[in-house]
Formats: sequence, C-alpha cells, structure tokens
Amino acid sequence: MPAAQRLDLLDPADVARLGGIEIVAEGVVEGFLAGLHRSPFRGFSLEFTEHRAYQPGDELRYLDWRILARSDRLFVKQFEEETNLRAMILLDASRSMAWRGAPERLTKRAYADRLAAAVALILLRQRDATGLLTFDEEVRQLIPARVKTGQWTRLVRGLLDTPDGRGTAAQAALQRLTALLARRGLVILLSDLLFDRELALTALRYLRHRGHQVIVFHLMDPAEADLGGPPEVRFRDPESSVSIVVRPRELARVYADTVRREIAAWRTACRRHGIAYHHVLTDMPFGVALRLLT
Amino acid sequence: MSFLHPLALLGLAAAALPALLHLFQRRTPPELDFPPLRYLSEAERQSARRLKLRHLLLLLLRTTLIVVVVLAAARPLVPGVRGAEGGGGSAHQPTALVVILDNSPSSGAVVDGRPVLDRLRDAAHASLARSTSADRVWLVLADGVVRGGSREALLASVDNTTSGWVRLDLVAAVDRAARLVLAEPLPGHEVHVLSDLQRTALAVGRADAPRMRGVRVLALAAGRPVANRGIGAVRVAEGAAVVSIAGSDDTEPAPVTIRLRGRDVGRALATPQTGGGAAVVSVTVPPQLPGWWAGEAVLEPDELRADDRRPFVWHVAPPVRVEAAPASGPFVAAALAVLREGRRVAAGRDVVIGDAPGPGRSVVLPPADPALVGQANRALAARGVPWHWGAPGTPGPVASADLGMIGGVEVTRRYRLDGAGEVLATVNGEPWLVRAGEIVLLGSRPDTAWTALPAAPGFVPFLDALVNRVVAGEAEVAEAEGAPRVEFRLRGADTVGATLFAPDARESDLTPATPEQATAALGGAEVLDDRRFALERFAGTRRADASGALLVLALLLAAAELGVATLTR
Repeated sequence: MPAAQRLDLLDPADVARLGGIEIVAEGVVEGFLAGLHRSPFRGFSLEFTEHRAYQPGDELRYLDWRILARSDRLFVKQFEEETNLRAMILLDASRSMAWRGAPERLTKRAYADRLAAAVALILLRQRDATGLLTFDEEVRQLIPARVKTGQWTRLVRGLLDTPDGRGTAAQAALQRLTALLARRGLVILLSDLLFDRELALTALRYLRHRGHQVIVFHLMDPAEADLGGPPEVRFRDPESSVSIVVRPRELARVYADTVRREIAAWRTACRRHGIAYHHVLTDMPFGVALRLLT
Repeated sequence: MSFLHPLALLGLAAAALPALLHLFQRRTPPELDFPPLRYLSEAERQSARRLKLRHLLLLLLRTTLIVVVVLAAARPLVPGVRGAEGGGGSAHQPTALVVILDNSPSSGAVVDGRPVLDRLRDAAHASLARSTSADRVWLVLADGVVRGGSREALLASVDNTTSGWVRLDLVAAVDRAARLVLAEPLPGHEVHVLSDLQRTALAVGRADAPRMRGVRVLALAAGRPVANRGIGAVRVAEGAAVVSIAGSDDTEPAPVTIRLRGRDVGRALATPQTGGGAAVVSVTVPPQLPGWWAGEAVLEPDELRADDRRPFVWHVAPPVRVEAAPASGPFVAAALAVLREGRRVAAGRDVVIGDAPGPGRSVVLPPADPALVGQANRALAARGVPWHWGAPGTPGPVASADLGMIGGVEVTRRYRLDGAGEVLATVNGEPWLVRAGEIVLLGSRPDTAWTALPAAPGFVPFLDALVNRVVAGEAEVAEAEGAPRVEFRLRGADTVGATLFAPDARESDLTPATPEQATAALGGAEVLDDRRFALERFAGTRRADASGALLVLALLLAAAELGVATLTR
C-alpha cells in the first residue's frame, strides 16, 4: 500500500471523518501493521520460561548463543509474557481532554479514543489480554483485560460510554489499577497530564515497582504548545474555571519555554523511573503515534 | 517659552489616550477556554516583572511621543541667537508690527539705475514675509492709511505698490504706528520704516511714543544721495508765470519751459540765488482773453521725474469798470487813462477809488487832511471794515510777496493800518496795503509827497493789479497733493474756481537725513543698512523654533517604542 493512502499516516482529523472509532481504528491498524515487520509489543517481559528449537522466521535476537556454542544446535529462548501479555489502557476523560485549539482538529479526547482503540486492536490481534480504564475525578469505566472474542467491541463501547468529565485525579485511577493488576503487565496512560506531576509519578512509580511496564502518552493540542489568540484575552481553565487575562503575544515566548520545560520534566522523571514517555500532538498521524511504541 | 500655534497645545489632551486605551482594552477581553492554564500562570509569574516594566515603559514612551508631537505641532520658540539671520529653523515671539513703506513721490527717484522704491519694497516684502500667523501686521503707505489683513494680502499690497503723489509725514506715521503696536498685547512691538529718509520728511516734530514705551523702530538707512530739482511752484501774475525751483541741486541754472495747450510759449533759465535761496524765474505769458487758462512748467528730466513738470492755472478777468474820485489825485487819474487806453479798464463804477468807501468794490485812500481821518474811519466802520487808519508810521520801503512790482518802493509818509485781516503789503513790517472783503485800504496816498510809487515804473501795473485782481477778488485756486492735473469747480455753467494737483514741493529735496537726525526724530529708531536691517528684524523677540528638534526626538521615541514593543515580547 502506498504510504500516501495509509490511514495511519493521514491527518487524524481527516481520518476521523471517515467513520466511527471502530472503522478508524481498524483502518489505522491495518495500515500500521502493513508497515511493520514485527509486532510492536513482543518481548516486553523478561520472564524466561523455556527453550525451543529454532524455526525459520524466528528473530535472531532470541537465539541462545551459549547452546549454539556448546552443542552447535539452534535454540531460541521463550518468555512467558510473550505469549500472554496483559495490557491495560488508562484514558484520561477529564474536562481538559475535551478541548481543541482549532475547529479543524480533533479534541485531545477524540484523538485519545481513536489511539486507544487502535492500540487495543493491535494487542488483541496478538492475543494479548487488553483492558480499559477511563477516569476523570474518579474511575468512569473499567473493563478488565481479556482476550476473548468481542473484547475489542467492549473496549470501544467503554470509550464511547465514557462522558467528558470535570476534573482530573490520575493518582486515584492509578491506585485503583494497581489493585486490579495482580499479574505484571503493560500499562498505557493516555492523558494531557494536566494534573499534579508528583502525585501522578508516585502512582506510576508504584506500578513500576510492582513490575509493570508503563507507557505514557502525553497528549497535547498544538495550540497548547504555541500560545496565540487575540491581542488580549481572558483564558479560563475548563476544569477549575480559574481565569487569567493575558496578552498572548507578550507571553508567547515565555509560555513556549514553560511548556518545553514541563515536557522535559515529565520526560526526565519518567526516564528516571523506567517509564516510557511520548509527547504526542493531536495533529500527529495515528501511525506516527503508534510507531512510538515500537 | 512661547508657541507659534498655541491652539495646537489642546492636542496635549491626547496624551491620555495610551492610558485610556490601555484601560479600555483591559475591560473587554474575550474569554476563552484554555486547559493548560497552569503553564500560562507559570509563564505569567515568570514574566510579571518584565511585563510590568514593559507596560510602564511603553505607556511612558507613547505618552511622551504624543506630548512631543503635539509640542512640535505648536512650534515652541526658545531663546535664539541675536543677530543671526532667521533662516528655516529660526522664528520669533508673536509681534505686533507696522511696516511703513514710504511710496511718496521721492521714492520714484532713480539711483544707480534702480528706483528707490524697489529697494524699499523688497525690504518691506521681507519684513512681512518673515512675520508669522501669530503676529499682528499692518502696512502704512504714504497716504497714511493703516492697512490690516492677512500677511498674504499685505504682501500683495506691497508688491503692487507704486510711487504715489502724496507726501508722507514720517514722524507722525511712526508715532501713530508705535501707538498702534503698543495697543496689541503681544510680547514684541516693532515698527519697520522703509523710506528714503528725506530730510524734509523729518523736519517737523518728534515721534515720542516709541521711545517712551519701548517700541523697537528699525529704519532702513537712506541710499546714496542724488541731486534733484523740480518745479516747486508756479504763479501767474501780471502777464508772467513766476516759477520757483525746488530741490537739492542748486549749483546749475535750470532751463524752464512754459507750455500752454501743449505748445511752448516761453523759456527762461532759473539761476540759483546767491546765499542758497531757491531759484525763481519769471517767464512772460502771452496776453490771453478773459477766462480760465491752464499751463504747465517743465524742467529737463532728471533722477526724479515726478517733479519735473507742474501745472498751473489762472483766471483772466474782463476789463473792470473803474471810477476815480477827484480826491484820488492826478497820478491815479493818469494811470487809469493809460489802462483805459490799453483796454485794461473801462469807465464805470464797478470799482471806486477815493477817500471814502463806495457802495461796492472800493480802493480807499487815506484823507490828505489828518483832521478827516476820524471821519473816514467811521465811514469804514459803517461799512463793516475791520481796519482803520491809526497814527502816522515811520518811512520805509514796501514789501509784498504778492505784488512784486511795488517791492522796495520808498514810502515817506503813511498811516499805520490797525485791525485784523488780509495784509497784502507792509512797510517796516507794519500793514500798508490790506483787504477786507471788497474794500482795499492803502496806508499812503498815491502822491509823490507820500511815496515814490506814482513815479515808479510799477505804478500802472500796480493799479492794474489793484483794480483787476486785488479788489475784484482773485479767482479761487486751491492746491492739493496728487497727480499733476487741474480740476475746475463749476457753479451752474460758470467756472468759479480750480484745484491744482501736484506733488508737495518738499519732495524735490532728496537730501537724506543723517542717521542721528533720523534716530532723534523717529523715537530712537535704529538706522540700519540693508544687511543689518535683515539681521535685526524681529531680533528683539527672536526665538529658535524647536519643532525640528522635537520631531527628531519624536522619531527616536517612536523607534524606542517600536524596539520595546517588538524586542521585549
């Protein structure tokens, strides 16, 4: 398929106009997988279980070189998670996520819904158990991780049934999640991260401590990265209704620096705790966002 | 500091605009949702001090910019350098100015190939052109009329000014101009005198107003003096035109030509009198029939053409009918016989000559008998004559400006004539021949025992003038300043008089006053040559126009504002 016709590489807003979440996610995943040589999520776990004989097509990186040296036979190492990954998608449904900087773009929530659906579809196709937790000030939807038929539809339904919330309490949702995830697995957080960083990091660190692999998608509208607007404007936080009068042109440079520092702070903190952090703008094609996972 | 356009200072109210706009804009900002407000708050917290300083600086710069631009528009004047020619950036405080442009006939004199008026007009033009809209300006020409109006209108008047025919009393004009400018409540008061500064124009009085009140009078120094002579006066009497030469050239005889009806009828040389007196020449005029006659005395052209010709007019009356009483004596009878023979008089009683006044025109002689003097005086009083014979007077020669033929004739016996009225001739300074209406009185009898007149050659002409002109009443000829011409006055179909227009004879004397004389006469005027005059114009109130510097400052402020507005974002 030519790259220009792949849905995963088109503008997200244009893709979203093609149909519902399912259609979009399927189209994106089809295009995305067509451009990959292997599954993006294989080999996350380090839980070694057994050896098996090498078969053509196996990846060479899993070849056990010691056995090869001693016995001149080809064996590959197998990992437990490789065949039974449990993934949980956390989606921030707070009020701030229902915002977009321009009418022609998707809201952060709409972008996150479609991205979550695509990720879930990829995981389920790999026969990985996948669940969903949506939250704002409290947990709104919780769909446990399963791999059975119809799970993806349930996940999509869960996304659709989650209304736009008011505030954000990521810490509470993450703590709830730790109780649900008895086995180590993969946690994917889709959020604009407009909440207290230290509290959220405490919860994420706890997940890491429990052995989970954690991936954070920091969603941001391009208008949030570069300040613009009328000469003078009163900006209001949709969650707290706190407002502030500014002249965007006067503050744009300092604001951009602040945003860059904030992103850098998240990235540094996540790296320090072994958390994968990805900054995603809502005008980024879904395929590009998915590729960050590989 | 003062301003050329003080009304523009009203624009200073606009200095409040930046602050008002700032407040107005702050009241109605649009409201938008913006989730990452925490980032924005952090950015604002970090920039608060810088933005506050920036806003304050911009407000200050914009307000100052408006103030500076308004001040520049008002054209502020700051003290300038005295003596510096006011070029482009130099101005002066509001000044009340009277420009006196002397376009009297003498301004038409040509000096060094250029009319004097051209130089005066250029200086007047420059004075008016240097005035501003904040000044009050007037123009006075030789006619003495004070002309107000806009600078442009006055400049047009100056440019259209030509040499006139009216003499300017410069002293009175400066005095009046000084009072005029002083009435204006302005910082500066100046009078610019653009005149040839004729000595004769400064001869009468002194202008005290400028000196007393501190008005600055600048007088353009006179140019190179030139010699000139003109026809000062022409009078026709007893068949001759007596021409007086006026002017400053009294070294050479002046050829005078008399013209009647465009034809030369006489010519003579007017020779300057020894001792500096004006040259006078008498040119015979051919006898004319009774009626009004007009002629013209002409000099050869010189530097001033306006006074080279002068009209004159006279009336030739028909022969008067005269009757002499026996008491008038044989000399009178003999002279009348001669005049009758020459058709100068006829028999009749239009004029009576005798010891007592007749019912009409009379020439009354003193009685030979002193005892009858009282009776004669009563008769005169009865006729309402304000003269009477008094005590005998001392002998002496006759002096008369009007009756030249009897000048110097000795009188040995006479009565003093007491009273008030017109004196036609005197002896030893006392009235000897007087007139009161239709009555003419003599102080001596026409007898050789009283005077040498009957034996003098001028006796017959004297009697002719007495009966034909003096007692009959001379035709009224008035004189006025103006372009040379004669205008007759009519009563019904009769011509009863004439007005002779000509320039004032004093205009012929082009001798300029010395600077000291001009300064003294014109209230302490500063007499300056052309260059100094240009330098001193408005020098007392000269100020440098600071608007140029302010505009430069405004540009710098605008650049600073632009820099602060763009670089500090």
